[in-house]
Amino acid sequence: MNRLNTLKISFLLKNTYRVNSILFSLKQIPLVRKALPDRLYQSAGLKILANVLSGLWEAATVFLGKFLYFLLMIAIPGSLYETLPYEGAFLHILFFLTVIGSYANTYMFNPTKDKYYAMILMRMDAKRYTLVNYAYAIVKTAVGFLVFGLYFGLRGGLSVRTCLLIPCMVIGMKLTVSAVSLLIYEKTGIAVNENKLGKLGFSLMFVFLAAAYGLPALGWLLPDPVFTAVGIFSVLGGIPAVIRLCRFDRYREMYQPMLAKTMSQMDEIKHISADMSARMISEDREIFSRKKGFEYLNELFVRRHQKILWRSVRRLSVVCLVLFAVLTGIFLLYPEDNAQMNQMLLEFLPYFVFIMYSVNRGTGFTKALFMNCDRSLLTYSFYKQPRFVLKLFQIRLREIVKINLLPAAVIGTGLNVILYVTGGTDPLNYGILFVSIVSMSIFFSVHYLTIYYLLQPYNAGTEMKSGTYGIILGLTYLVCFAMLYLRMPIMMFGLMCIAFCLLYSAAACILIYRFAPKTFRLRM
Amino acid sequence: MEFIISHLAKSFGSKEVLRDIDFSFEGGKIYGLLGRNGAGKTTLFNCLNRDLNADSGSFWLAESGQKREIRAEEIGYVLSTPAVPEFLTGREFLKFFLDINEASISEIRPIDEYFDYMGIEPEDRDKLLKDYSHGMKNKMQMLVNIIAEPEILLLDEPLTSLDVVVAEEMKQLLRSLKKEHVIIFSTHIMDLALDLCDEIVLLSHGVLERVDKTDLDQQSFKDKIIAALREENREQA
Repeated sequence: MNRLNTLKISFLLKNTYRVNSILFSLKQIPLVRKALPDRLYQSAGLKILANVLSGLWEAATVFLGKFLYFLLMIAIPGSLYETLPYEGAFLHILFFLTVIGSYANTYMFNPTKDKYYAMILMRMDAKRYTLVNYAYAIVKTAVGFLVFGLYFGLRGGLSVRTCLLIPCMVIGMKLTVSAVSLLIYEKTGIAVNENKLGKLGFSLMFVFLAAAYGLPALGWLLPDPVFTAVGIFSVLGGIPAVIRLCRFDRYREMYQPMLAKTMSQMDEIKHISADMSARMISEDREIFSRKKGFEYLNELFVRRHQKILWRSVRRLSVVCLVLFAVLTGIFLLYPEDNAQMNQMLLEFLPYFVFIMYSVNRGTGFTKALFMNCDRSLLTYSFYKQPRFVLKLFQIRLREIVKINLLPAAVIGTGLNVILYVTGGTDPLNYGILFVSIVSMSIFFSVHYLTIYYLLQPYNAGTEMKSGTYGIILGLTYLVCFAMLYLRMPIMMFGLMCIAFCLLYSAAACILIYRFAPKTFRLRM
Repeated sequence: MEFIISHLAKSFGSKEVLRDIDFSFEGGKIYGLLGRNGAGKTTLFNCLNRDLNADSGSFWLAESGQKREIRAEEIGYVLSTPAVPEFLTGREFLKFFLDINEASISEIRPIDEYFDYMGIEPEDRDKLLKDYSHGMKNKMQMLVNIIAEPEILLLDEPLTSLDVVVAEEMKQLLRSLKKEHVIIFSTHIMDLALDLCDEIVLLSHGVLERVDKTDLDQQSFKDKIIAALREENREQA
């Protein structure tokens, strides 16, 4: 009865903060936020909704996770080795991944927040809490592997006996490794932490991964008897392991330092991101500026952040240049497929929306602007005067457009050269291709800086406070990604692109002039 | 000069943090703003600094009988955790600040004079601000806030995290500044407030009220303040 109670309490505890996290995320979504009551966390209806979501999540961890694991890690790769029997490859990969999982995914040695809350803050009995929850985790794993082991195994031609052995082997190995880890703790005082595997753990992981996917490529598979033998041994090892786990009495003392460290690391994450931003600042003592006022501020900013700005776009441009040179060489030397390539290029312009999205430095620029500059200066009232906000916006816009223009020019020219050597096109197309690539680059520069000025999403503690900002960034990605699937002639897409960029930039500037002096401030 | 706040109110959802702030501060005095945790001191400062929009009410300056709006740059706001642009050196930060405020600063002095005034050593002046200590960052923040001679200086717990020497220097500085300014100083430390401030103002129940010191010795004054703050607790309960 007591055990059941422990399970119930720990489940409720986990559920409570999961539910609260769901409610909290709902509150980040614009519009939804307005509709939600102030006393959100007391609202019964919302709680029920969040509870349903939380329950679905729990089920998803059992089924969806395992399904994807089997599908992506085992079934699909297993089917790629054409010369090998599928069931052999399936078992081979499964075996080595299980070995990795036995020490890298233990539940027991994963210091999570819910364990900290339960054992340290709420002072629940550590041994009972751990064992009950461990048992639950193991049962979940067993069910997942049983269901999908059978599903994927039978479809792949494995016998029922082998399929049933899969969950036994997985569980047996996990139990054995956990018991051994406890033994190591008793002997040496060193507690394993699965999130910090160290060099040995990662090297082994690499070796096992190589064994899982590499050996079959070389035509070698784990012989079936070995699999059966290891399976049976794991099950046999599992029984004394369970006894060991139940007899172990030092869970509380083992978890204390591990959990304390994890919790303090969560606090450190904030400092780490601040540190990272500080590290972007160049220490070069030769950097100076002869300009004045905001131009002075901007020039020093850009020079001291060359690592993420100019230096990185220069590098990128060189890479693109080399790439285009190589491609041009190939097309000149092997002209067989040129006609096809030429045709493709003429239709592939939308693809480059995604490319231009990926090479744009806008997000890096605005992040650095905030972390190293605006975060502090926005606390001074002189900096927030409308005319200064607008002045600085102009300077920064010019700067970010300039920075991104270099790779855009290289890409635009490179594409034109390839278009030319693969057979050429209507002269107008060259011009439109170049201008549209450049205007894409300008669009992204304007876009990032505009949403930064209009939504300024961070508070003084550098936490992101605006759901809208995140949603817009996500949408930007989705739209650009969708462009990968669009095919359209250069002329049409190019003109649309240029027109869109012009309209967007004009609209953005109007919005900035109207609203930025009010919106560009620290979030509270 | 007087700094007048009239019927300022601010709520977050259904929680009224500032109910009816109605108070006038006189120039030449340091006001100690006391209030319990969560009383709304920072919210008040944020509203005055226009980081937050107040729901209603207004504030203005009155000089020789003339009322006028306060411009953003006339308010200096010193935060407890100093914020300085990390990628600039101390000298560059000052130069930038002086550049863009040329028009409004009455007489600009050589940069090193400002550093001398603030007690920032010559070898630190050309270091990046990211490498400054907490106390030095605090001095820079204070310096930038006082060079422009804002009429009103809001200080949010500015001395609590400083070492004793810097804290003493800052106190001296504030005393020397008070002639031309309204200084409002929020703190949790009663002795600091009594030592430095000319007037004690309590923020409780979303209203400001002055604590009268007439005819009281230090201890009875303290008792009176504590009693007033406790009172609030009882009423809330």
